[in-house]
Amino acid sequence: MNVITNNNIKCTVALAALQNVMDPEIGLNVVDLGLIYQLDFDETERKIFCRMTLTTQFCPMGESITDAVKETLNFTFPKCDAAIELTFEPAWNHEMISEEGHEFLNER
Amino acid sequence: MFATTGNTDTTITTSYKVVLPFYGYAAFAFLVATILLLFSASDLTKHYFHPHTLAITHIMSLGWGTMMILGASHQLVPVLIEGKLYSNKLAIISFISAAVGIPVLGYGFYVFDMGLHTQCAGILINLAIIAYLINLAVSMLKSKHENVHAYFVFTAAIWLLTTTIIGLLLVFNFTYPLLLKNSLDYLPLHAHVGIVGWFLLLVIGVGSRLIPMFLISKYNNTRRLWWIYGLINGGLLTFIFIFLYSYNKLLLIIPLLAVTAAIVLFADFCYKSYKQRIRKKVDEQMKVSILSVLMMLLPAIFLVIIIALLVLTTKENTSLVISYGFIIFFGWITAIILGMTFKTLPFIVWNKVYHHLSGKGKTPNPKDLFSNTVFKWMSVVYIFGFVLFTAGILLQYTFILQTASVLLLLASLLYNWNVIKLLMHKPKSL
Repeated sequence: MNVITNNNIKCTVALAALQNVMDPEIGLNVVDLGLIYQLDFDETERKIFCRMTLTTQFCPMGESITDAVKETLNFTFPKCDAAIELTFEPAWNHEMISEEGHEFLNER
Repeated sequence: MFATTGNTDTTITTSYKVVLPFYGYAAFAFLVATILLLFSASDLTKHYFHPHTLAITHIMSLGWGTMMILGASHQLVPVLIEGKLYSNKLAIISFISAAVGIPVLGYGFYVFDMGLHTQCAGILINLAIIAYLINLAVSMLKSKHENVHAYFVFTAAIWLLTTTIIGLLLVFNFTYPLLLKNSLDYLPLHAHVGIVGWFLLLVIGVGSRLIPMFLISKYNNTRRLWWIYGLINGGLLTFIFIFLYSYNKLLLIIPLLAVTAAIVLFADFCYKSYKQRIRKKVDEQMKVSILSVLMMLLPAIFLVIIIALLVLTTKENTSLVISYGFIIFFGWITAIILGMTFKTLPFIVWNKVYHHLSGKGKTPNPKDLFSNTVFKWMSVVYIFGFVLFTAGILLQYTFILQTASVLLLLASLLYNWNVIKLLMHKPKSL
């Protein structure tokens, strides 16, 4: 699934960093799982806006995952402040898993 | 330039402080039940209305099955209804009332004293269920979403309250003649409302959400789930009607067919979820849970034989009836709990211990918080113990029962070892 962004270069860096954030149950990172919908960067305000989802609403691990995404973005872009918006529109489904993600799940 | 609302409201879940006591209590109840089973193994060759058998059954159904399900349900209700749990206080009230009531009730049965303390225990258990039902009802009313799983859970809770109210009446009926017949005569009603209405409906409602979720399955069939819901509730209502108003035992085949059809449909639902899964590797915990789905069919087969014998010979075969109960509580319900405990508890503990460290360094995987080797041994010992014990009941052979009860006790010790390991987990330095 393509991530909407206003800055392709920074988005690539952010997504590379976010590949270290795992869904602990599935064992797959949030990027390949297709949880990240949008990453926008505000240069003047030094803010990062991340719109993302979870595999299920009220997922017991949800807060940990969103916190980990926020922490990772703040660590990758130390001069910026990341804000996370959680959305369930569209709701996550298996078609959002990347090709790499499918390969990973097929192997495990 | 853009809004940074930071909306994370839908990530707020039930506090671990509410959920963990239920898990710990249930694990201990399982241990107590297997110890009692070891000392009362020979009693299971007698009539099922035996004080020790009644005590073990209630510790298994309330202390083990219901407490575990209540704990998991407080955690999973937000996932099922897509809304927050209304009140942690009500959940704690529910826990305390049940935690006090269950051992007192168990003791009352064991010494067969249906006096004041057993009556008070029954009242406490009913209060616990009422608190749970209120919590569930308000949570559902406040939730914006409606789904079939929530209906399963809520209806199951209503059947649970019906079961405990009938149970309370039966306890009082020993002292004050409230009912038309003896308490013994109402046991099948009390048992089946609980087994089918509470356990079966709830396990299918929750399982139909969790099994595809854990397998990451493409399969979804809400229409089928509504059929299952209708068959179980219709079957149970028909059973109650026949039980209360008909002398023709052959009619019992109607609710049995309805409930068996529901189980077969659910087994097929699980099979299709499994076949259409994206995650190819199925872990040990899911395998045990899937095994428990197959175990649902065993009691139905036993019940067909029991009803057939009842119609043909007009008397009950007690060893078949005891096997039937054993297969339900020590088989199906225990298997699903043994599997699902380690699909839910590690995540609750992980959230408790490592949540504040999210994204700040490498944390252990929730699966690493318990021993998978111990889990595998537990599963093997449990399956051997279960099969052997069932054979012991059917053959009425005390030595087999005693040997099997040692295996079941060992399985419960291994289970408790892993649960304690999880509950005592301390954060590792990053």
